[in-house]
Amino acid sequence: MIDPSIVALIMLGILVSAIMIGFPVAFTLMALGVIFGYWAYFQPDQAFFDNRVFYLLTQNTFTTMNNDVLVAVPLFLLMGYMVERSNLLDKLFFSIQLALKRVPGSLAVATLITCALFATATGIVGAVVTLMGLLAFPQMLKAGYDVRLASGVICAGGCLGILIPPSIMLIVYAAMAGMSVVQLYAAAVIPGFMVAGLYCIYVMVLAIFKPHLAPPLPKEEGNVPLGKVFFMVVQSFVPLAILILCVLGAIMFGLATPTEAASIGALGAVFLAVAYRSFTWGRLRESVFLTARTSAMVCFLFVGSATFAGVFGYLGGQAVIEKFVLGLNMGPVTFLIVAQLIIFLLGWPLEWTEIIIIFVPIFLPLLPHFQIDPLMFGLLVALNLQTAFLSPPMAMAAYYLKGIAPKHVLLTQIFRGCMPFLYIVLLAMLMVYVFPQTVMWLPKAIYGN
Amino acid sequence: MVNRFIYGVDLLSRTVGHAFAWCLVILTLGTSYEVFVRYVLNEPTSWAFDFSYLMYGAMFFMAGAYTLSRGGHVRADMFYRLWRPRTQAAVELVLYVIFFFPGVLALVISGWNYGYTSMRILESSVNSPAGVPIWPLKMLIPFGASLLALQGVAEVLRCVQCLRDNNWPTRLHDVEELEKQILEEHAKKAEQEAAAGAAR
Repeated sequence: MIDPSIVALIMLGILVSAIMIGFPVAFTLMALGVIFGYWAYFQPDQAFFDNRVFYLLTQNTFTTMNNDVLVAVPLFLLMGYMVERSNLLDKLFFSIQLALKRVPGSLAVATLITCALFATATGIVGAVVTLMGLLAFPQMLKAGYDVRLASGVICAGGCLGILIPPSIMLIVYAAMAGMSVVQLYAAAVIPGFMVAGLYCIYVMVLAIFKPHLAPPLPKEEGNVPLGKVFFMVVQSFVPLAILILCVLGAIMFGLATPTEAASIGALGAVFLAVAYRSFTWGRLRESVFLTARTSAMVCFLFVGSATFAGVFGYLGGQAVIEKFVLGLNMGPVTFLIVAQLIIFLLGWPLEWTEIIIIFVPIFLPLLPHFQIDPLMFGLLVALNLQTAFLSPPMAMAAYYLKGIAPKHVLLTQIFRGCMPFLYIVLLAMLMVYVFPQTVMWLPKAIYGN
Repeated sequence: MVNRFIYGVDLLSRTVGHAFAWCLVILTLGTSYEVFVRYVLNEPTSWAFDFSYLMYGAMFFMAGAYTLSRGGHVRADMFYRLWRPRTQAAVELVLYVIFFFPGVLALVISGWNYGYTSMRILESSVNSPAGVPIWPLKMLIPFGASLLALQGVAEVLRCVQCLRDNNWPTRLHDVEELEKQILEEHAKKAEQEAAAGAAR
């Protein structure tokens, strides 16, 4: 008889190789779960389909189908796709840019703020980066901004949407870790704005000390009366901000479940599109179909991962990993650094969905041993995954920008432009760890203990 | 013949996926209605909770095959995308046999038993006195999984065609993510400009 835990490790090895070859991950997980599960639950006197693994697979499928946390995912996606198609972005960017005219590095700061707000509403990285790449990138280049700085600003700003609540990533994390979405949202507010703020500060400081990288706009340009600027901000910035605040406020103050708030958000996004005269049935159809596809992608990963993890745990794989990690005699800090480093490295080839649904669960049972708060760990992961989009070789944000940028912009320039923002994210992770109040204060203030 | 089969399956997956996608709109309206009656009329419904996951579950599960036909299931294509189409097809053909069909076919058969058992007793939810029926959701599992398996066969045939022609066959047209649309338009424009420049 072979030792089951060795079989579990073989199973994990096959999974990692299959992922690296590039087969759709959800089905790989399901198939490996079924094949190895059949072996694990095999009883000689049973009929073929009486094997427990088949029940496990179906039960996991149904558990994903009636998961009351994941219901919010398609609703937030719909909201995002609708906002993305509502022609809001150019007005938003234009008004913010006028309002911030006197700030050093104004174009870059305006880009960051537009990205942060828009990305928060849509939660879809690719769309924000490409749209802003078409809108703000040429303007920054025309104003004489450094190519690297301009690309870094757009890539980094576009990724903020997966961190700042209401973000889909945190819902998926909550569903996977069995945590409360509400708590995670409350915990992510301060770190999210902290990262956005650090980005802005970095750009402004750079603009002051190295004006050749981000030259100020000529005085005569954009001389719009203050009243008009104010009106434009009210028209474009305020409605979207109110929509986000309503959704987030309803969730955090317990007025509505995340699902309910998300459906109000989706409905609000449709109204917003109507108000901006950009609503068409075609756009709604597009948004609905894309939402169905993206939800299926995320939820099938859950089906596969639950089956895989069930069998992996039954074979004793999780216990082997735990024993191995505890045997290393690491302190909590070392463990945290190693765990985050692994997640950072996984961000090179993988997307956040795969990392959160497949690999983060391996770390979670270890947290109590090291007395690490799951909320803190979750936030560190969320921050860390910002880097997954920015770090070469598979920085999706950089590739999107390259696809629409003028020819003379090189991919290496974009990568180098992303680097400072990558360091800022790492700095933010350090700050969150050193000052845990940044994560813990808001959830405690709202919900007590 | 093979082509017509592939397109037929694509069309079927797409139609079913699109049809069930509208559950999302019903879900949005239904849940918003629940919030409205709870806060404005002070009369919460008893069915809203069960209703929400019924719509969501049906939507995502029945969109599985549609997502597969659009190549939408997440994969790490760091190496994959560097290969020639022929290599891609050969590798994918093998992987479909090992890593796709075992899980999906198991779901078809065990899902049928699961759904059938639930349907026989007309199982309903225990979450509220409204007794919302949940057997239809369980019964969707074998159907969604069968569609997925069928789409898998179509994908395998695509691999075979690609091995023969050294190129991936084209897919049906459908909506795409905004970034993909923008990138494609941009590439087309750049190409036209290059052509115009060459003509001059």
